[in-house]
Amino acid sequence: MTRLVLVRREQVLKGGQPLAFLIGLVFAMLIGVVLLLISGHDPLAIYGRMVEASLGSPRAWSITLNRAVPLGLAGLAVAVAGSMGLWNIGAEGQILAGAMMAAWVARLGEGWASPLLITAMLVAAVVGGALLASGPAVARAQIGVNEIITTLMLNEVALRLLQWLIHGSWKDPESHGFPLAPMLPDEARLPGLFERAHWGVVIALGVIALFGLVASRTSWGYELRVAGSSGATARYAGISLKRKITTVLILSGGIAGLAGGIELSGNADRITEGISAGYGFAGIIVAALALLRPSGVAAVALLFGAVQVGGLSIQTMGVSSSVSTILQAFILFGAIGAGVFSRYAVRRVKNDKTDNQS
Amino acid sequence: MTPASTAVVDLVNIWKRFPGVIANAGASLQIKTGSIHAVLGENGAGKSTLMNVLSGVYRHDEGQVLIDGEAHHFRSPSDALNAGIGMVHQEFRLVPSFTVAENVVLGASDRLVRRTAVEKEVGELAERFGLATDPSRPIWQLSMGERQRVEILKALWRNARILILDEPTAVLTPSEADELGRVLRTMADDGRSIIFISHKLHEVTGFCDEATVLRGGKTVAASLQVADTNAHELAGLMVGSSPIISERPPARQAGEILLEIKNLEAQSDRSLPVLHGLSLQVRSGEIVGIAGVSGNGQREMAQVVAGLRPATAGSVSIAGQEVTATPPAARFKAGLGYVPEDRLGVGLAPRLTVTENAILRNYRSLRRGPFLDNDQADEHCQDLVERFGVKTGPMHEPIAGLSGGNLQRLLVGRELSGGPKVLVAAQPTRGLDVKGVKAIQDLLIAERDAGVAVLLVSEDLDELFTLSDRLLVIHDGQIVGEFNPETAQRHQVGAAMAGEVVTQ
Repeated sequence: MTRLVLVRREQVLKGGQPLAFLIGLVFAMLIGVVLLLISGHDPLAIYGRMVEASLGSPRAWSITLNRAVPLGLAGLAVAVAGSMGLWNIGAEGQILAGAMMAAWVARLGEGWASPLLITAMLVAAVVGGALLASGPAVARAQIGVNEIITTLMLNEVALRLLQWLIHGSWKDPESHGFPLAPMLPDEARLPGLFERAHWGVVIALGVIALFGLVASRTSWGYELRVAGSSGATARYAGISLKRKITTVLILSGGIAGLAGGIELSGNADRITEGISAGYGFAGIIVAALALLRPSGVAAVALLFGAVQVGGLSIQTMGVSSSVSTILQAFILFGAIGAGVFSRYAVRRVKNDKTDNQS
Repeated sequence: MTPASTAVVDLVNIWKRFPGVIANAGASLQIKTGSIHAVLGENGAGKSTLMNVLSGVYRHDEGQVLIDGEAHHFRSPSDALNAGIGMVHQEFRLVPSFTVAENVVLGASDRLVRRTAVEKEVGELAERFGLATDPSRPIWQLSMGERQRVEILKALWRNARILILDEPTAVLTPSEADELGRVLRTMADDGRSIIFISHKLHEVTGFCDEATVLRGGKTVAASLQVADTNAHELAGLMVGSSPIISERPPARQAGEILLEIKNLEAQSDRSLPVLHGLSLQVRSGEIVGIAGVSGNGQREMAQVVAGLRPATAGSVSIAGQEVTATPPAARFKAGLGYVPEDRLGVGLAPRLTVTENAILRNYRSLRRGPFLDNDQADEHCQDLVERFGVKTGPMHEPIAGLSGGNLQRLLVGRELSGGPKVLVAAQPTRGLDVKGVKAIQDLLIAERDAGVAVLLVSEDLDELFTLSDRLLVIHDGQIVGEFNPETAQRHQVGAAMAGEVVTQ
């Protein structure tokens, strides 16, 4: 009798992760076909529409790129923390904090020149996200409080704070009693790039590339890799883990905050509760699929942007946009499942009584 | 004479192989009914593997497991439990928010847990064996000693006739350890058989009946009567001999004091005091060997010197500079090289590449602006690989693929490349093959000849006798004896390791 067992490969299969990603995508689309058939739709027509709406024209590309900006920055935020073995589950809240700070600066800076105002808004957004992450950062570094819990809970705090502002002091007197913040002035809007795409695309790419360079080439990035590989080795080499944990988590929060600022300035008319659309949580998936690598984050964010834009477009065909959420989830499942095989090989073994697996 | 008639446990010629390691190479063990039997051996001697075979965690490759004279082939710990074998692990497996009684019956009761009835029964069981504990208290409120009693109760509740205790006193204060000894005697008098794994020889001589010593996966002394032996004989058996490889180097004139440790005190990982006023000096051009039964503070001493564990009192000076409260990097700057006991995970980062590991000590000086100079890093790595004969694959592949000997060459080479004044090497040759041992020993001698002060912590007494210019014995966190390796006898050192006061 033989059976199949997983055996650890001596070296990770080259090109295994992109391949796993592709398998995940195919797997997810097959599941999608089943779901669509069950709900009485034509899968081919639906998929055609999704591709058309997300990648079929320069205009479609511009929408997808805009969508990829907060996904990519949130993914980078999670990846930065993840490269040190820390989990920032609070990117969603940090995006809100960034958007709030940017909105606040936009209120203060009425009448400022556009470049000055936008710069001030984005800097404030970074500060906002960093501030929200600083509590968990210090608590983790100094007394070992689990950052997963603290960052997760602060999401709720940030959301309630935003609601309180919108329902309270930021409520537009001309909104006829609706809890809405006033429209942003035109000076606070990021300039366009092409079609619907705005300059946030360039900023996000720049930030991702910059971090990629810092992580791979500087001694700061080297220390980060040492600390992420083994905390004991880092201590041995004289790298202060406390300082590293603090800076990395605050930096992570700042990057997520920037996503909030860009989203407000580039895509929104005004700050609303729904300004993030779950980008912070999707960012966790993006970072995981990218294996926490900056280059991977950009690519995965683009794909997720396309899936999300495609998912929104099929609502007019009577399909729930949840389809895209389900697809994203199954891409992750499929890719993680397939990713196992880049680290393990399947072997056939003879089943005999004296085998000594432990 | 047929031992099967009196032996409740009879392990015969057990072999257990893991990829690349033979953990048990014909180990045997016989336990008499109603006795407390010590199993002794250094780390890696095969004690844990043998106990895991007996308790059903591992399956042995060869040999026989006889319980009451009957052969068994356990497939799981529950198989072993059905045969009456219970294990009390070193790491407790308790649910912190459950009460004592709930933990005791967890998984062992198929009726609904009726709290009061179960608490009463557990209380009665505890009382019978003198295991003072309150069955209704949650685990998180209990001390380590009390938690251990709960673990023992769990085994008794499951009707274990044979109890294995894996280093049970490591988590206990001395008075708790004495208390445990009394409990074990009560259980033995009740007809149960106890297997007691320990490094602490005075406990073995204090409350065990028999002792079996393992070394290198084999039984080197079986069922010694504790009454007929003594601690230093046992110590001598544990730290046996390996083939002497390096020639004893000619002695040199030692120079100025480069490493000075004064009245050092520190705590273990479990916050128990482990160093009790340890003092020593190492001079330029000498190798000072530290001999001791493991668990007597040598590991912690090396960590305190390296700055990886805080000293609670006393001082450490490197080349005349006091470094007691400084971070690890400052000690490196002051001239310390450190080869830690845990190569992979402390000395080397497993997921990083060969080059990245090679520059761990000097990356701060390999900069070009804010960037790390990759060319210089590669050059440094190449230099280490060539000078210290490291056999390695591509330098940009993770280090985890290197063999133990090559990992150690890279690590020792890196520590030496900075030109240290003091080198602390903890178990530098443990687990290496003959060639690897020789290479590392030769490096230590070469450094000594170049005027470095070398502090060598080793479990291999032969290695210490061969390499050391002075041999110090550590016991219970203090230096208890100093020997001249050229004239000292092994049994004298063994006696000191066992804590017996000796003078040479």
